[in-house]
Amino acid sequence: MSDEHSIGPADSGRILAAEYVLGVLDAAERREVERRLALEPALASEVAFWEERLGGLADAVAAVSPPANAWPRIEAALGTAGAARPASMWQSLAFWRGFAIGSATLAAASIAALAYIGLVPASRSPLMATLTGSAGQPNFVAAVTATGNGLVVVPASLLTNDPRAIELWLIPPGPAQRPHSLGLIQPGQPIRLTIPPDLVDRLTPDATLAVSLEPPGGSPTGLPTGPVIASGKLTGL
Amino acid sequence: MGADANRGQLAAALVRVAAGDRNALRIIYQDTSAKLFGICLRILRDRSQAEDVLQDVYVTVWRKAATFDPERASPITWMVAIARNRAIDRLRSSAVSRRMEPIEAADAVSDPGPTAVERVELAQQRQRLAECLEELEARHAAAIRAAFLDGATYEELATRANVPLGTMKSWIRRGLLKLRACLEA
Repeated sequence: MSDEHSIGPADSGRILAAEYVLGVLDAAERREVERRLALEPALASEVAFWEERLGGLADAVAAVSPPANAWPRIEAALGTAGAARPASMWQSLAFWRGFAIGSATLAAASIAALAYIGLVPASRSPLMATLTGSAGQPNFVAAVTATGNGLVVVPASLLTNDPRAIELWLIPPGPAQRPHSLGLIQPGQPIRLTIPPDLVDRLTPDATLAVSLEPPGGSPTGLPTGPVIASGKLTGL
Repeated sequence: MGADANRGQLAAALVRVAAGDRNALRIIYQDTSAKLFGICLRILRDRSQAEDVLQDVYVTVWRKAATFDPERASPITWMVAIARNRAIDRLRSSAVSRRMEPIEAADAVSDPGPTAVERVELAQQRQRLAECLEELEARHAAAIRAAFLDGATYEELATRANVPLGTMKSWIRRGLLKLRACLEA
């Protein structure tokens, strides 16, 4: 059609991504784009570009408070949703080469190793966390040292070929707590971190440890800026 | 509250959601639900359907928080995309055809005045978007705005602007290519 003569094949992928984000495609075309998104990183990146750049148009829409019963309905729906989380992006990109080790075996082996190297007293029940990915697989095990001011982190899987730094965060229990950085950890070896004095008394049961991918050198902002690849709560064994 | 603080707090809350923290999701809901509900309502024009979709949106945020990558998207943009996709999918699957307004009329309501605190995010990027839209032919820019805000198909847009379908496709496609070139410049 003469209307389209100026649009070459090189532009068609860009156009399709923009049309998807804009919302002009019909249901079948939308499903087709979504199917291709999982397979074609270039198309996914193009969709991300348009979502980010066109997103500002939504400022023109007036905010409308939802009815008061909307939140209770959502909270009720989470009960069934939380159990079956889908595999997250980073898993599908094969970031991890997981060891074929069950989480219980792993935790037991890690504690034995930590006790052996004298970081946790075998006589006392240590505070531990198994940091799992969104599919529940263990990626790190962390234990508070006997002195209470150190944390030993043992990787349970290997990160492959990701140039990003791996940063560990402490999120105290309770509402509206912000993450505190505990420092960078290594993908392939256990590491002992010294906890900053102001955070020592926050290493409590139910505090959350989380691991995110960050630029080399760690988060520039003091808060996580990259995807969270594992998290777990500290518990007494 | 500064833009970075707001963005940082939402990103931090998403980290907690990824860890399974429902309180963090409630905080995100309090900060963003009016904006997202407004977006769903604008697309669906039906309160009850918009409420259903809003629920779906936050359940999706709960499930997908671990896939959110702050290097690639701002938290609010990520959630706006989820809300629009869910609302548009609901719209496409609904047999009810919507009342159609001329694009000029829709454009008049959508004049962005200064609104709530969410707007502070990404101010520079949005300024650039506004400048680049200014460079397009007015009717192309109006069609792109109407498509985004209402989730309308090419056919609806053509009817609303009273032009042939091929013409509307051409307006929007050429407009998008020019917009992309300008945004990247």
